Amino acid sequence: MAVDLQDRKSIAPSDQLSAAVRLRAPKREGLEERFAATDPAPGLELTANPRFARLVRNRKFQFLLILPNQIVFWTVIFVGILGTAIPGLNFGAAITWYVWFCLVFVMMVVVGRAWCAMCPFGGFAEWVQRRTFWRRTQKALGLGRKFPEPLARLGFLIPVVSFVVLTWIEEFFNIAGPGNPADTSWMVVGIVSSALIFFLVFERRTFCRYVCPLSTLIGTVGSMGSVAGFRTKDHEVCLSCRTKDCMRGGEQGFGCPWYTWPGSADSNLSCGLCSECYKSCPEGNVGLFLQRPLTSVVAPRRRRADVAWGIAILWGLVVFQQFNATNVYATVDNWLNRNLLVPHYPNPVDYVGLIALVALLMAGVAWLVSRSLGRGDVAVTHTDSFVDRTSRFRAFFVPMAYGLIPVVGADYFARQLPKFFKHSARVVPAVAHIAGFMSTSSSIYGFHILSNSWIVVVQVAVIVAGTAAAAWATWRIAGRELVPVSHNALGVRLATLGVVLSCGAAASVLYVLMHAAS
Amino acid sequence: MAITMTENQLTWTDRPRVQVLADRCAGCQECVIRCPVGALDMDAGRWVAVADSERCVGCRQCVRTCPFSAIVVTGPALAGSRASTEVVHPEPLVANVEEVRRGLGSWEEALAEAQRCLSCPDPTCVRGCPAHNDIPGFIAAVVDRDLAKAHEILRRTSVLPDVCSRVCNQAAQCEGACTWSLAGEAPVAIGQLERFVADTMAPPPPEPGAAVDLSVGVVGAGPGGIGAAWALLEGGASVTVYERDPVPGGLLGWGIPDFTLPDAVAARPWRQLQDAGVELRCGVEIDAAGLEGLLASHDAVVVATGASVPVRLPIPGADLEGVTDATSFLKTARAALETDDGAPAWRSAMGLEGAAGGGRPPHVLVLGAGNTAMDVARTALRLGLAATCVDWLDERFSLARPDELAEARDEGVVVRFARTVTRIEGDGQRVRRAQLAKTRQERADRLPAVLHGEGAETVDVDLVVMAMGYRVDPAVAAGLPGTPVRREAHGVPDRRWTASGVLANPASAFAFHNPVGKLALGREVGLQAASFPVRERIWVVGDSLVGPATVVEAMAQGRRAASALLAARPSRPDHKRPARARRALVCYASEGGRTAQVARTVGDELTDKGLSVRVLPIERVGPDELASADVLVVGSWVKGFVVAKVGPAPAVRAWLDGLPRLGGMPVALFCTYGVDPRSTLAQMAVAFERRGARVVATAELRRGGNKVAAIAFARRALAGARELEAAPPEPLAVR
Repeated sequence: MAVDLQDRKSIAPSDQLSAAVRLRAPKREGLEERFAATDPAPGLELTANPRFARLVRNRKFQFLLILPNQIVFWTVIFVGILGTAIPGLNFGAAITWYVWFCLVFVMMVVVGRAWCAMCPFGGFAEWVQRRTFWRRTQKALGLGRKFPEPLARLGFLIPVVSFVVLTWIEEFFNIAGPGNPADTSWMVVGIVSSALIFFLVFERRTFCRYVCPLSTLIGTVGSMGSVAGFRTKDHEVCLSCRTKDCMRGGEQGFGCPWYTWPGSADSNLSCGLCSECYKSCPEGNVGLFLQRPLTSVVAPRRRRADVAWGIAILWGLVVFQQFNATNVYATVDNWLNRNLLVPHYPNPVDYVGLIALVALLMAGVAWLVSRSLGRGDVAVTHTDSFVDRTSRFRAFFVPMAYGLIPVVGADYFARQLPKFFKHSARVVPAVAHIAGFMSTSSSIYGFHILSNSWIVVVQVAVIVAGTAAAAWATWRIAGRELVPVSHNALGVRLATLGVVLSCGAAASVLYVLMHAAS
Repeated sequence: MAITMTENQLTWTDRPRVQVLADRCAGCQECVIRCPVGALDMDAGRWVAVADSERCVGCRQCVRTCPFSAIVVTGPALAGSRASTEVVHPEPLVANVEEVRRGLGSWEEALAEAQRCLSCPDPTCVRGCPAHNDIPGFIAAVVDRDLAKAHEILRRTSVLPDVCSRVCNQAAQCEGACTWSLAGEAPVAIGQLERFVADTMAPPPPEPGAAVDLSVGVVGAGPGGIGAAWALLEGGASVTVYERDPVPGGLLGWGIPDFTLPDAVAARPWRQLQDAGVELRCGVEIDAAGLEGLLASHDAVVVATGASVPVRLPIPGADLEGVTDATSFLKTARAALETDDGAPAWRSAMGLEGAAGGGRPPHVLVLGAGNTAMDVARTALRLGLAATCVDWLDERFSLARPDELAEARDEGVVVRFARTVTRIEGDGQRVRRAQLAKTRQERADRLPAVLHGEGAETVDVDLVVMAMGYRVDPAVAAGLPGTPVRREAHGVPDRRWTASGVLANPASAFAFHNPVGKLALGREVGLQAASFPVRERIWVVGDSLVGPATVVEAMAQGRRAASALLAARPSRPDHKRPARARRALVCYASEGGRTAQVARTVGDELTDKGLSVRVLPIERVGPDELASADVLVVGSWVKGFVVAKVGPAPAVRAWLDGLPRLGGMPVALFCTYGVDPRSTLAQMAVAFERRGARVVATAELRRGGNKVAAIAFARRALAGARELEAAPPEPLAVR
C-alpha cells in the first residue's frame, strides 16, 4: 500500500496516533441501489419521538420487557410441576398452550422479533452472561467462544432442525395437547437450561441466532411484520464510522447480540429489537423504524438459501401437523409403529419423512420451474458459502420460498386458533386456582369464544389472507428476480403464483379435513 | 512454513487461505479498510466481504478486527525471516564497556527487514509504541533510502530514536504489537530499523520556533525533561532546566550502563538542546519551596524529577557495611569504569580487594532479577566481581526482558529465581553471608509465598546490592496532587483501539504475561494524564507522574505536556498577557434532547463572546478533547425518582469516574430537571473539585425553561473563568 508521507509536523502530539492510521476507503459502489428498496422512510422512525427515544435509550428498556415474561414462565415451571394435573386448570399448561403460542404468532406477523426482545429464556441466560439485569458491564461470565464455523455456515438451518426435534418431542409426549402440565414445565426447564449453557459457552446470543427452535420461525414469519427493526439513518455515517460501537459495544450499549449491523440490515430477519445498537451508537445514527407489511419478504436483494430451506421445512412441519389428523396418516403411523417398535404416535420415520417429502416437493416444483422456464445462462457461483452459493435451481427455489412465507405464517397461525378460541378462557380459572379458587366446574372453564365450525371458517379465512399476501409478494418477487432469469416472463410469474395458490388451497383443504376428522 | 527462494522470487508452497463466513458477515468493511494487502473486497450485490486468498499473506489482521468473528484464515503467515543481529560479549569482560548489542550491519540487511513491514493501514505497532511513532511511515522512508525523511517522521513523535532503539523493550511495545507478532510470527525488527536510521544519519538538532512570550521551568534533565524541553523550545518558549546532578541525562546518564547505552548516545540530546538555546542549570535541587519559587519566576513548570529512590529490603543486616543500593552502585561503578584502572581502585575503595580469599573474585549478591538487577550484575562482572541475582518471583513470571536475562547468563551472571534473602550476616560490621529461602509463586498476579525452612541455604557474599527497582521520592509526590497515576485503563476501551485489533491478542511471556494491547492501553492513561496540569501551571511527566516506567514513556509524556502547555499558554500573576480567546468545551448528557438544546444555547453564547467552542455529547469527550479546552461546561439531565436516587445522568457519572486530574481548570455545571434536581450539581461539583478543577458557575434549569436563563449561565461561566484566571494560584499543599 502506498504510504502517504505528507508533512504532518503541524499535527498535535495527541493526534499523532490518528495521523499514522491510513485506512483504505470503504467501498461505496452500489450502496444506494443495494439499499434503496429496503431502507425505511425517515418519516417512519419511531425513535424520532423524544419520549419514545428516551424510553428506548434507557438501559432498563429490555429488562422491563423481559421481566413480566420471566415472572410468568417461572410461574409456569413451578405451577406446572407442583400444581394440579388437570391441564386446563393448571396455569403452566393453560397459559403456554392456549394463549402464549398464539400471541407469539400475532407479534411475529405484526412486529417481527418482538418475542425475541422479551423472551424470558434468552433474557434470563443473557442476564447471567452479562452479570447484570440491565447495566452495561465489561466482563461476561462464561467462555465467550465463537460458534463453530462449520455449524455457523448453516445459518438458520440448525434452528429449524431443533424446532422439528422439539415439535416431535412435544407430539410424542403430548405436551402441547396439553397433556401432563409437568411435562410443559420440564420442557421449559429444558429450553432455559439449554439457553443458559449456550450463553455460558458461546458469546453474544449465539443460542438465539443459531440454535433456538423458534429462531427461524420467528425470523421468517416475522419478516411479514411492519417493524423494520433498528436501522441506520444515513449509510454514509456508518461507512465512515471507525469504531462500529453498534457491533463491538460502546459506552452505553453492548455490541449487537444478533450479529446484525444496522448499517447493512435490509430486513428485520436478524434484528432482535434489543436496542443495544441504538444505545451504543455515538453518532445517534440508528433509529427504530416502521415499514410497510411484507417489505422484508419482498424487498431484500440478498436471498439466503438457509432461509429458503428453512421455509420449506417449516412448511413441511405445519403440513404434517395438519395431515396427522387424517385417518390415512393414522393408518400409516400405526403400521410403522408396529413394525419399528415405536410405542406410539408420532413415528419418527413418517414424521421426518412427511416433512422432508413436502420440503422436497416444494424444491422439486422449483426445480421443474427452473428447468422449464429458466434460462441456461444463469450465473453460477461456486463458493464455500452454503448460504450464498448460486445455481439455476437456487435462482428459482430461493425467491419462490421467500414468496411462500405468508402462507406458511398463516398456516402456523391458523393451527393455533382452535386452542385459543376454545380454551383461552381457561386461563382465568387457572390463575384463580393457584390461589385455591375456581375449578373445572366454573362456568368460564367451559367457555368457548367460537364454535368448531366457526373456527374452521376463521382458519380458512386466515389461510386465504395469507395466500393473498403470498400471491402479491410472489408476483413482485417473480417480477424482479425470476423474470430476468427466465425466458418466459409471464409464464414464470403465473407458475410461481400457481404454486402459492396450490399451497394455500392445500392448507385450507387440510383444515376442512381436520375438522371433519375431529 | 515452507518457503522456497529462487533467484528473485519467493514461491510459497503452502499459502494462507482466507474465508468469509457469509452468514455472519455484515458488510461493515472493517476488514476491507484494514487489510494490509488488499485481499478483501466487497460484493456489492450481497453486501458481504469477499476474499482473494491469492493476495492474502496470513497476517490475520482481518480476523482480529472483524467485530462478528466472520473471517477465518488458515495456513501459514508469509512473514519471512527476521533479521538477526549480533550480541557480542567481549573477552575479557573486566573493564570493558563496549556496546554489547549490535545494529543492522548494512543497507541490504536494513532494506530486507524494512520490506517485511506490511504498512498496515491501521498499524497496531504505532499503538504499541508509547510515543506513537509513525512506524510504517519511517520504515517506508527506509525502503526509499531516504533517511532524512525517516528522521523527519520519527521527529514528529520522538527526539530520542538513538536512545529508544537501544533501551526500549520492543517486545512489549511496538514489536509485540506488530501485526506479524499478533499473528504468532517474528515481528518486523522495528527497534533495529530505528537504530539503523539513527546510527546511519545523526538525529537532527531541535529547530527553535518563533519566540513566544512563555517562560517554562523544567525540573529534571532525564528523558521526561528532554522531551518537554525539546518540544517547548520548538514551540518558541524560553526554557530553563534545573538538574540535581552535575551532569544532565538523569537515568540515561547513570542508570543505564555503557554496554547498553554508550555515553556518546546518551549525551547527544543535551548537547543539541544546549546548542539550540535551552538553559541548563545543573547541581540545583528543587524542593517544594523551590517549586513555589519557580512558579514565581516562570509562567509554568514541568516536573520531571523521575523515580530515583531505590527500593530497599527491610531485612536483618541491611545496614551492614557492604550492603548498598543500585543507584549508589551504578553511579560509582560508572565513574570507575571510565578509566582503565578504575576497576581495581573501585574494588579497593569498596573493601573488596582480596576479600574473598582463595584467589576467587569477590562475590556480589544482587537482590532482584529485573532489568536494573541485570544492569547491576553485568556491571559487577566488568568490575571483576562474580555476580548472583536472586529474585523471589518464579522465572515464568520474571520482570526482566528475556533478551537481557539471556545476555546476563551468557556473560556469567548466576540468576536464581524463586529465592529470597531473609537475613544478611556479617563479621563485625562487614557483610559476609546471606541466608536464602525458597519461594513459591503460582500465578503472575499473585505475590510469591516465602517457604521458611524449606531449602534454606547460606551463601558467602562480599557485597550485597539491593536492585529491586525505584520509587518516587515521597516528599516530591506529596507536593504533586493526583500522582502517581496508575497506568491502568478502566471502563470500555477506546473503540479505535478495539477496532485496530491490538487488544485481540493473547497474553505473552515477553510482555510480562499481559496482552500487549492491554499494556499499551494502560500506558495511554499516563500519556493522557501528562496533558493536564496537576495544579495551576504545574505539569508532571515521566516517572514522577506514573511511577517507575520507561525512557520512551517519559519522553512522550514530556512532549505531550509541552504541547498542552503551549496551547494553554499560562502566565504567572505578575506577567499578565492581553486577554486572548479561550477555548471552551461544552459537553452534555441528554436523553430527550433538552439538555442538548441548552448546551447548544450555551455554546452559541460563548461563541458570540469570542470563544472557540466545541459542543459534544459527553460520550465523545475524552482526554484529548479535554486537553484542548480552557473552560469546561458540563450539562446533565437529572436522573431519579423525585426524591430517591436523584443525581446526574449515568453517562455523566461514568465519565466523571474516568476523569483525569484537571489542575485548576474552570468548570461550569448545569442540569435540566423536571421536578427537583436536589443535589445533582453538588455531586458533580465534588467530583470536579476532587480532580483539582474549579467550579466557577452552576445553574439548575427547569425542563422547558427559557433560553434567557441558559444565556445568563453562559455569561456567568465566562465571567467566572476570567476571574479565576486573574486570581493568584492556591498555595502548594505539602504534607
